[in-house]
Amino acid sequence: MNWLSRLLPGSGPALDPALRSTLEAIAAIPTPDLSRSHYETRYVVVNTETGPMDGGGQRLLAVGAVAINKGLLHPGDAFQARLGSAPAGAMAALLKFIAKAPVVVYNAPFNQGTLERAFENNLGSIPPLDWLDLMVLMPSLYPERIAGQARMDAWLGAFGIERLDHRDALLEALAVAQLHQVALARAKQQGLGSPRELLDAQSSRKWLRGS
Amino acid sequence: MDNTAADTLIRTHLDFLRRHAPFDRMEADALRFLGERLATAFYPAESEILMPGDGAPNFFYIVYRGKVQARQTGGVAVTEYSTLTLGPGEGFPIGAISAGRPSTNGYLAVEDSYCFQLPAADFLKLQELSPSFQLFCTRYIASLLNQSREQLQVQFSQRAAEQQTMTTPLSGLISKSPVAVAPGLATRAALERMVEAGVGCLAVAGDDGKPVGVLTQSDILKRIVLPGFDLTRPIADVMTAPPHTLKANASAYDAALEMATHGVRHILVVDAEDTLKGVISERDLFALQRIGLRQIRSGIESAADVQALQRASRDIRQLALNLLAQGIGAEQLTQFISALNDALTRRIIELNLDRHDLYGVEYAWLAFGSEGRHEQTLSTDQDNGIIYVLPEWADKEPLKLRLLEFARDVNNDLAACGFPLCEGNIMASNPDLCLTFDEWREKFGSWIREPHPEALLNATIFFDYRVLYGDEKLAHTLRHWLLSMTGGTPAFLKAMAANALDVSPPLGKIRDFVTDDDPRHPGTIDLKKFGARLFVDAARVLSLRAGVEATSTAQRLRQAGSRIGMPAEELSAMADGFHFIQLLRLRHQHLDTDHGSSGDNRVKPDDLNELDRRILKEAFRQARKIQLRLKLDYQI
Repeated sequence: MNWLSRLLPGSGPALDPALRSTLEAIAAIPTPDLSRSHYETRYVVVNTETGPMDGGGQRLLAVGAVAINKGLLHPGDAFQARLGSAPAGAMAALLKFIAKAPVVVYNAPFNQGTLERAFENNLGSIPPLDWLDLMVLMPSLYPERIAGQARMDAWLGAFGIERLDHRDALLEALAVAQLHQVALARAKQQGLGSPRELLDAQSSRKWLRGS
Repeated sequence: MDNTAADTLIRTHLDFLRRHAPFDRMEADALRFLGERLATAFYPAESEILMPGDGAPNFFYIVYRGKVQARQTGGVAVTEYSTLTLGPGEGFPIGAISAGRPSTNGYLAVEDSYCFQLPAADFLKLQELSPSFQLFCTRYIASLLNQSREQLQVQFSQRAAEQQTMTTPLSGLISKSPVAVAPGLATRAALERMVEAGVGCLAVAGDDGKPVGVLTQSDILKRIVLPGFDLTRPIADVMTAPPHTLKANASAYDAALEMATHGVRHILVVDAEDTLKGVISERDLFALQRIGLRQIRSGIESAADVQALQRASRDIRQLALNLLAQGIGAEQLTQFISALNDALTRRIIELNLDRHDLYGVEYAWLAFGSEGRHEQTLSTDQDNGIIYVLPEWADKEPLKLRLLEFARDVNNDLAACGFPLCEGNIMASNPDLCLTFDEWREKFGSWIREPHPEALLNATIFFDYRVLYGDEKLAHTLRHWLLSMTGGTPAFLKAMAANALDVSPPLGKIRDFVTDDDPRHPGTIDLKKFGARLFVDAARVLSLRAGVEATSTAQRLRQAGSRIGMPAEELSAMADGFHFIQLLRLRHQHLDTDHGSSGDNRVKPDDLNELDRRILKEAFRQARKIQLRLKLDYQI
């Protein structure tokens, strides 16, 4: 209830009752146990589509998200939304789709930053999500493939993952999701068997390479 | 859930599937069904995807990217390949998942691979939705059928070897390369070599490969152990020289003669240059017998009495085993058995005609039931009758009595030759089955006009008649009349169809076999009642409807089926299914006969090997398919 209270009226833009009940429903979702194995976990891979903002910087236009549930990517468990004229609804729907699952992005400084700004602007607060950044994790998981940080293209190429349309947030999320499956396979081999262990490793300078 | 997002991802699946067979030809609805249900999994190089130990597969897999290798596991090779690499668009394990049994192959990712997976239940549903996919799977399983035949061949090759004739050249009997040592080798080393190779006979050959001597196990005690022979001395000092040799083109008979003449148990076989090729032991010759198709045939035709024919009858059984061992298909095998049994019956009739004067009488000896269909197995009792023409000048009663006496003798002789008398008295010596042309026509006509249960049962036996001896024309005329009658009586055909649908294939709802609940035969399936007969009965209805004269089930299916517009490949799949069941019945009867109990048709699916179980299930599905056709055609 902690972060929901920060989303309540008075601490930001006014929320309509439907949105409020959506957020309450999200808050009621039980927090997933991050110490279970990757193959018992639902991850949500998110990618953003942005455009230039008036005052400089990038503005979120659309989001695409694909779940990796128990290691599997199922087409029914996917999400996309354009912010358009009802950005608060789109952001709430994204939160509902994430449902407190660990969130995976490629290039967190950009994607996580953009998303958190959009949450704050439209819902009045930044939800406390667990973020995994493949840009940081991949060089440590597959040092023999690419040493140091690289562009997403390089990693997709290394594993033969097809990039169907880089302008489409959902299809980009699909490519990242396939990369995440590759990451999970190696993480398990390296003894990082759960999202908790992967999150801890990500924040440990000793484990990380090339960052 | 966001539908447009799901649609986008499903479209990526469909785009992929459309580029690969058999999905490129899949019906739009079915393809959509598939695309919606595929989940993507990643398998790093060298990881296992599916192993036999995993039990019945939960998923059907389609390689999306990368390479997957199917590897044989276990000692017995089931398929012709030991490994097979699958690339994008290829699916597995079709056989195992269709049958709901563990896979016989292990599937491993040989490079980093993505696979689509479809839940097993959806795989089965997809086959229902998509005729083209079902055909693809059927063809795949049919290719397994051929492999099963090959496996059968291996299984019986041991017996086949024993059944070769005494005229077989020795080159055909040598099973492994000879164990030979140089004459200068120390005796200890030579004996170690014998132990190591596990042979009872050691050949000694010079550098040129020509044998110079031999040492057998029985020599060791007498010449080495008891006299305390110095083991450092060369083997040449203790071997038997010169050895008994025969050329590779000598017969097994020559070898037996050589052994008997010289009191030895081993013969060295050499080629034209006298180079050592192998060793033949007494044991290799023991089981050789004298049975071949031509010998039996000439034995039958020249038989002077029933005793000679009894021997021929036993030989027919042996030959059937040989042919089965050589991997011959059920269709050809039953035809062979049928042809030889026909020859045997004809000879019995001829011998009896010496004692029964039927000169000038127009008649034919008819075979009914499985014999009439050329589908006899080895535990079939006799089903026969007589059709004759009553000449205007003759009295019926005395002629019929003469025919009946003749028939009784033939029936008894047949019984003496291994065709048990028919319990239901369907025999030519039964006055009700020794009838004139007009009487048969009247009998057949009444069954067609009033298809009560007994009439229908009779039709299933008697309409499959065939002439074994006598006037073919008579039977042919009757056949023509019969087909015109049945073709013009839809009510009769519908009743026959309903009768054929009385028994369903023993496939359970959860796709397992339904076995007999009779406590005396737990876990068995009667492959005659619940297998072969389903095909036989359905094919009969089709042939009577389409006016097909053939009586064999496979021919009826092919001819009648194509006349009513069933696709040829579907008909072949059905015929294959029928033949496979016949093959299992024959094999089962053979094995049982070997164990001394009488052959029956009860097969335990649990005793079958993995591949046979899968194919049997596919065969039952073919039976279900043909039954479905009857159901639709006759609105039953």
